[in-house]
Amino acid sequence: MPTTLRTYSILVLFAAWVALSFVFSPQVLPGPVPVFEAIWENMASGEGFYHLYKTIFRVLLGLFIAMVVGSVFGVLMGLSLKAEKFLESWVMVGLTIPAVVYAIITLLWFGLNDSAAIIAIGVTAFPAVAINMWQGVKDIDMQVITMAKAFQMPRADIIRKVVLPQTVPYVLAATRYALGISWKIATTVELIGMSSGVGYMLNYWFGLFSMTQVLAWTLTFTIFLLGVEFLFINPFEKRATAWRAAVQV
Amino acid sequence: MKKIVVSNLTKHFVLTDKSRLEVIGGLSFEMEEGEFLSILGPSGCGKSTLLSILAGIEAASDGEILVSGKPLTAGDNGVRLGFVFQQPRLLNWRTIRDNIKLPLEHGTQSEEEQLNTAQRYLELVRLKGFENYFPLQLSGGMQQRAAIARALAIEPEVLLMDEPFSSLDELTARKMRAELIRLWRETGKTVIFVTHDIFEAVYLSQKLLVVTERPARVYDRTDVNVGYPRDYDDDRLFETAKKVSRPFLKMEANDAA
Repeated sequence: MPTTLRTYSILVLFAAWVALSFVFSPQVLPGPVPVFEAIWENMASGEGFYHLYKTIFRVLLGLFIAMVVGSVFGVLMGLSLKAEKFLESWVMVGLTIPAVVYAIITLLWFGLNDSAAIIAIGVTAFPAVAINMWQGVKDIDMQVITMAKAFQMPRADIIRKVVLPQTVPYVLAATRYALGISWKIATTVELIGMSSGVGYMLNYWFGLFSMTQVLAWTLTFTIFLLGVEFLFINPFEKRATAWRAAVQV
Repeated sequence: MKKIVVSNLTKHFVLTDKSRLEVIGGLSFEMEEGEFLSILGPSGCGKSTLLSILAGIEAASDGEILVSGKPLTAGDNGVRLGFVFQQPRLLNWRTIRDNIKLPLEHGTQSEEEQLNTAQRYLELVRLKGFENYFPLQLSGGMQQRAAIARALAIEPEVLLMDEPFSSLDELTARKMRAELIRLWRETGKTVIFVTHDIFEAVYLSQKLLVVTERPARVYDRTDVNVGYPRDYDDDRLFETAKKVSRPFLKMEANDAA
């Protein structure tokens, strides 16, 4: 059963944490108990929710921009050889520039506010989306499209029933990558130039040398992201790719 | 009235360097309703292009095609044609039943009627019990049966088949050929079957059209006067196959010279 295997894997990680926390002093590596206590206190005071909300807000808007721009780029590059030649270098440049550079540039251009963070996230995450969608469009099976045409299926039906289902795995992969990237760049921007959000709190507690709180905040957002993965992305993927699971005997 | 009249059909493609590639160089033939015709020709001779034109996927460069007296044009032409490809071309994320239902979904049937129709043809090709399987869970032969059911489910006026058994192993292909003959006799469809396998063409069809290497022209016409069901070891079939092989081989020899 994959579910029990997943539980074991998390348990092993947890056990390693507990074991290491006995080896090192609490200033270097606090154990799970003080860290979860800190999370609980942060949330109970309401402050935790505020900063968590700010980061989620920026991540989701930035992710939205990345998905829209990245999909447009990727689909154009997949469909037209000219667009591919023209846009490929942009995507590669976008991919090569370190995320922190986008953070600095957007903060200088837009000031220390939400839009800077959102745009930095969008710009950083879009190449990953573009590359996945580009591959997805290129991998579309033309033979089944010819089949659909031979059966005189209307164009809209061909796109909805024959083309889009083929791109689902690529859209999911793009969302996963982009979500991971978005959260990393969000904390970076918040750390450099924001006065709210998880990154800001990380910076604050870093200044006070509180390893417990640094871990508490990191864990708070990690739990949130795992929640998104297992409550939304994973069930959707299971449903959309049931045919593949059924084949693996 | 003839079911299908193809007269002087030509097709060329203009390549990127502006040169013309002649694929079909004036092809004519006629078919009666309910007839089984095989078009036999070497690989890459433009047979598949001919079927694409008949299916309305591609336009002819010149010539005329009449189906039941009406001229056939590219795109939606109101003529229902069932197409079976060399590969099954099923949608892997749909169950077998939903694959057969696919071409019915833009028709006039209600959802329930579509399901009933799909079920009926699924049973006709002997896939009962596999309704909810996904294509990749089935063998190549079973997938091809589903593809045949899909083509029959739209109750086509003409069934077009493009080397449908060439990617199957010989034993499965033999079973499928016998099955096809059974389906053809049960449904009475007009069938155009394209192949490069001489014995397959002889075994299946009433009429044979041997076409040349690209650009495709009619090289020879033969009738196979053997009643159905036919036996694989029937000497008359072998005789016909030999007769057909001769011009076929001569054609290849001329080509080599």
